[in-house]
Amino acid sequence: MTARAFVEFIGVEKAFAGKPVLRGMDLAIGKGEILYIIGTSGVGKSVTIKHLVGFLPIDRGEIWFDGQRVDQLDERGFYPVRRRVGMVFQNATLFDAMTLTENVALPLRKHQGLGWKAALADARRRLAQVYLADFADRYPAELSDGMRKRAAIARTLTLAPEVVLFDEPTTGLDPVNARRIDRLIRELSRTLGVTAVVVSHDLPSIMSVADRVAFLYQGRVHALATPAALAASADPIVQQFIAGRSSGPMETPGF
Amino acid sequence: MIGERTLTLLGARAIAVTREVGGIALMTGQVLRALLPPRLDGRELVRNLHRMGNRSLPIVALTAFFAGGLMVVQSAPFVKRLGATSLAGWAAGYAVLREIGPILIGLMFSGRVGANNTAELGTMTVTEQLDGLRALAIDPIRYLIVPRVLAMLIMLTALTIIGDLVALVGAAVVAYLVLDIDWRTMYFSFADNLTPHDFFHGVYKSVAFGAAIALTSCYFGVTVKGGAVGVGRAVNAAVVAAAVSIMLLDFFITYATA
Repeated sequence: MTARAFVEFIGVEKAFAGKPVLRGMDLAIGKGEILYIIGTSGVGKSVTIKHLVGFLPIDRGEIWFDGQRVDQLDERGFYPVRRRVGMVFQNATLFDAMTLTENVALPLRKHQGLGWKAALADARRRLAQVYLADFADRYPAELSDGMRKRAAIARTLTLAPEVVLFDEPTTGLDPVNARRIDRLIRELSRTLGVTAVVVSHDLPSIMSVADRVAFLYQGRVHALATPAALAASADPIVQQFIAGRSSGPMETPGF
Repeated sequence: MIGERTLTLLGARAIAVTREVGGIALMTGQVLRALLPPRLDGRELVRNLHRMGNRSLPIVALTAFFAGGLMVVQSAPFVKRLGATSLAGWAAGYAVLREIGPILIGLMFSGRVGANNTAELGTMTVTEQLDGLRALAIDPIRYLIVPRVLAMLIMLTALTIIGDLVALVGAAVVAYLVLDIDWRTMYFSFADNLTPHDFFHGVYKSVAFGAAIALTSCYFGVTVKGGAVGVGRAVNAAVVAAAVSIMLLDFFITYATA
């Protein structure tokens, strides 16, 4: 029997309203790896990571996490998986009605068994680690996108996940804040051994942070390589995407 | 003769209503399942009790006071004509405790608390905050919905009881001012003619109305689709569904206990 990768997608297919998005996608991710998923809009990058935590059911194929097949789990069955696989959404998804501290304290109270005061104290410490100590009592609406994303990362890390899924973590951020997020992702992997799967369009991030990059095209992994190897690829489709050229061999639906 | 297009529209509407009723029934099952065993989030329950109940009290008291007074004003011509002052309290109290109190306070509660609840949950849905909860391995039904349903049930019942008492005071005040009926006469009119059954009849109704408002407002909130426009549509649908549910439940409870 062959050993499975830590996270593995096998022949995954997904269609929306009859329109196929993933068409037999295969992807294996190693433990502790930082893998970036790139590709044009609508190619199924976010769909892929949502499948892993059960936010979207697949139509066909298999998804494995740490030796357990997860694509057949129901909503309740996914809760243990979600405690090990955290997700940071593109829009941070902090709870409007709570301060940053309360947002971070919520999962501590629910899963770590902490009382409210202890959870708040721990939440403040965690917010300080992402440089938000001075904003701990603010509401999400009072903060910038970058701050909200850092708070969302702090909240996700309260579960001590083994895998963290990032959906476009640097989209909409200025370069300084984007690089701060990059640094956080790198530190997570290097210091805590967390596996990071990052959906992104941000080439500076990809080149400086990724261990490997999966380039999705037409519902499959078209190329899987280190950032340097991908940049040096002779594949004309990869080259068109990396160079950001509007004309070339790449077929982009809707254009 | 009904055309094909009309039949198609009627059929589509019937399917949509059936889907919504089925969805609400499913949510009711999920709420009941989440209560077994009852692992409530106490903080969330207390927070909802406060904002749904305490903050509704002034408007409910004001409405109930004038509703009670209104019953006396409506009956004033007959009371004067027949000289039946000893029955003025009974007429107002009977109508308030059994019908006007629960219905009026239920509709008021639906407009204020139910609509607000749908808008809040709807906004959380379209901004993926509910998915954010699920991603943290926190069940939105157990954490968000159950405390809201319980808070609405408890608070609508409590507000109806308080509203009933305020309405009786309102009736007595207006009777004194409009019909010159003294307090003592009104008190004995209430005490001698109204039974505990009249009071509990309204309380049963408020429990049923609270459940209907809670479940419809939560259901339409968490099933929002289509951004801000969808939230507006959901609030509208929730208020209409709650009002229809209140009238239907009122009829059947009254019929069943008559």
